[in-house]
Amino acid sequence: MKDFEALKVIWHNQITLPKVSQDAVFKKIQKTKNGLSRRLLFEIVGMGLAATAIIAVWWIIPFNMWTTHLAMTIFLACCIYYIIAMISNYRQINYDKLIDKPEDYITYLKKYKQERYVLNTRKYTVYSIFLSTGFLLYFIEISLTTPLWVTILALIFTFSWAAFSYFVSMRIYIIREESKLEEMIRNLERIQKQFDDTDL
Amino acid sequence: MQKKKRCGSIKVNICNKTQYFKSKGQNKSLSKEALFKEIFQANSKKIYHLCYGYTGDDESANDLVQETFIKVWQNLDKFRNQALISTWIYRIAVNTCLSYLRIEKRHPKDELTDHIIETKGEEVSEKNEQVSSLYKCIAQLEEGERFIITMVLDELPYAEIAAISGISEGNLRVKIHRIKQKLTEIYNKYERF
Repeated sequence: MKDFEALKVIWHNQITLPKVSQDAVFKKIQKTKNGLSRRLLFEIVGMGLAATAIIAVWWIIPFNMWTTHLAMTIFLACCIYYIIAMISNYRQINYDKLIDKPEDYITYLKKYKQERYVLNTRKYTVYSIFLSTGFLLYFIEISLTTPLWVTILALIFTFSWAAFSYFVSMRIYIIREESKLEEMIRNLERIQKQFDDTDL
Repeated sequence: MQKKKRCGSIKVNICNKTQYFKSKGQNKSLSKEALFKEIFQANSKKIYHLCYGYTGDDESANDLVQETFIKVWQNLDKFRNQALISTWIYRIAVNTCLSYLRIEKRHPKDELTDHIIETKGEEVSEKNEQVSSLYKCIAQLEEGERFIITMVLDELPYAEIAAISGISEGNLRVKIHRIKQKLTEIYNKYERF
């Protein structure tokens, strides 16, 4: 029979040491830092190029109808929205929260996950609606200047792609993220209960 | 005594960090590195114990130690010197453990894998076996209890454990008393079989 003091002695006898060295941490820091900024930069540059292409098309081609100008404005607004959402999401990796009490941190994680869910569902739906409206408006003028079959083909291709993204890819992504969210909340609630004062 | 002294020395370093950086100007990154090394040496072992106690898995514990210190580095400039640095690091470690479960979908193991013992083969001394058994018993506690008991075993002052876990000191004492009893019971039961 051992008492707690005996367990303490066993604990202090342990020679197991972390296999992580300072150098390994430094290397990882460098890698993570570069990886994050590269990814962010890549996405911003990508969306920036798309916005530039839209502006160029808008500038070069003399569109006559107001619907096309409205479509271009919508496309640009979508690009700007995407860039802002990306930067805001990046900023949400709020390291200050890490020094909060575990209970507060759990609350923050729950809130963050809920926000991610809103972004993937409601906000993505609004984004898709705007983008589709933009394409519809854009194709009004296109249909007047190109043969009918070209317009129909372009419409089919564009809306098939949009429908696939919205109804297939995004649904799969949402289902996966939602199941992760549910599991995470279940786990966090269980842990939060353990930290809770009131159970004493 | 020695531990308190060490923490105190780091606290002084952190408190004077801003003036130090201002006076050194271009050597700022070098000073940050030196400070980080000091923090790493003083705390990595205990953080590893906490992570190992929580996950019951050596590999995950090492991953968590690495992740914790990456976050320590990223936050070093934002450090608020009203708290002890060890409290701050422990909080990062606990929160990293919580989110690690979320991101990686890894579950803290109910039992330590035999792999830990097997890999050490015949070299495993009786003491090491006892340590392994102790970790196995810790793994049978609830997650929150694992955090608390590893800090108790590492002799952190109760006030600091209370600050890390966000539990009032009075309630923490009751909780610790229960966890100690629970762990002793589990260990003795485990040793009998």
